[in-house]
Amino acid sequence: MSKADFLSALKARLQGLPCEEAEQTLTYYNEMIDDHMEMGMTEEEAVAVLGPIDEIVAQILDDTSLFKLLHTKIKPKRALRTFEIVLIVLGSFIWLPLLIAAAAIFASVYVAIWSVAIALYAVDASLAVGAVCGLFGGVAYLFGGMAATGSLAMGGGLCLAGLAILLAFGCQYAAKGLIRLGKWLLLGTKALLLGKEKVK
Amino acid sequence: MKRGLLDICVLAAIKNEDSYGYQIIKDMKPYVEISESTLYPILRRLEAAELLTVRSAEHNGRLRKYYHITQRGLERIRTFREEWKEIISIYQFVTKENSDE
Repeated sequence: MSKADFLSALKARLQGLPCEEAEQTLTYYNEMIDDHMEMGMTEEEAVAVLGPIDEIVAQILDDTSLFKLLHTKIKPKRALRTFEIVLIVLGSFIWLPLLIAAAAIFASVYVAIWSVAIALYAVDASLAVGAVCGLFGGVAYLFGGMAATGSLAMGGGLCLAGLAILLAFGCQYAAKGLIRLGKWLLLGTKALLLGKEKVK
Repeated sequence: MKRGLLDICVLAAIKNEDSYGYQIIKDMKPYVEISESTLYPILRRLEAAELLTVRSAEHNGRLRKYYHITQRGLERIRTFREEWKEIISIYQFVTKENSDE
């Protein structure tokens, strides 16, 4: 890939960044390519050394806050005319609820993710409590002379204990998975805001 | 942890004299490999934290950005060295336990 191709491809991917920041990024990579070429590389080699554009974009994405991306997306590219401002104010009864709805959807997705995790742990905790009660209750029945009921309660308690331990592992995996899902959603949203082409 | 360490490495690379992107990567290479795409966000972060300043200077008919460490940057390196002393003594303690086994 030539330097010009590389830079324009990168530029296309950084549309969601504030203008100045995108410009600085391009300047940086331009300088890098020039320096590599000055040290004896061909243009193609110098571009290849920088690695895939996907990776470059991913690094920038990781370092840019969702808030900044949103801000850039919303901010108009030029100064607004008076009638536009009037329209925005008059139209607020349409866009304000939409904005609130979008924020609410975001928040609810997050809450939903976390409540799944909390629910799993709650089930696990109740199993553990059941196990303890079953075992102690069973012992109490045994000493009270009710051998059959006692064994049944203890057996039940042991079963619950087994389930609780198994589910504890499940909970751990699920929690890790949910955290990853949360990060992935955030990164995906950022990627959507940053450029036209989606980051895989 | 590695991320913070790379920040310090970049500061160390410009500690004695102002340097530019390509040179920083080259100077760090014998100690730690860092790619161009990794260096960029670090430089931005350090600049935002006022640990370094940037100036453009002409080189071979084009502009090149030179990075200069600030007083705060030097201070950051000093803190790192202090902290690291403690970590080294912890490391020695940990490895001593292991060799006893």
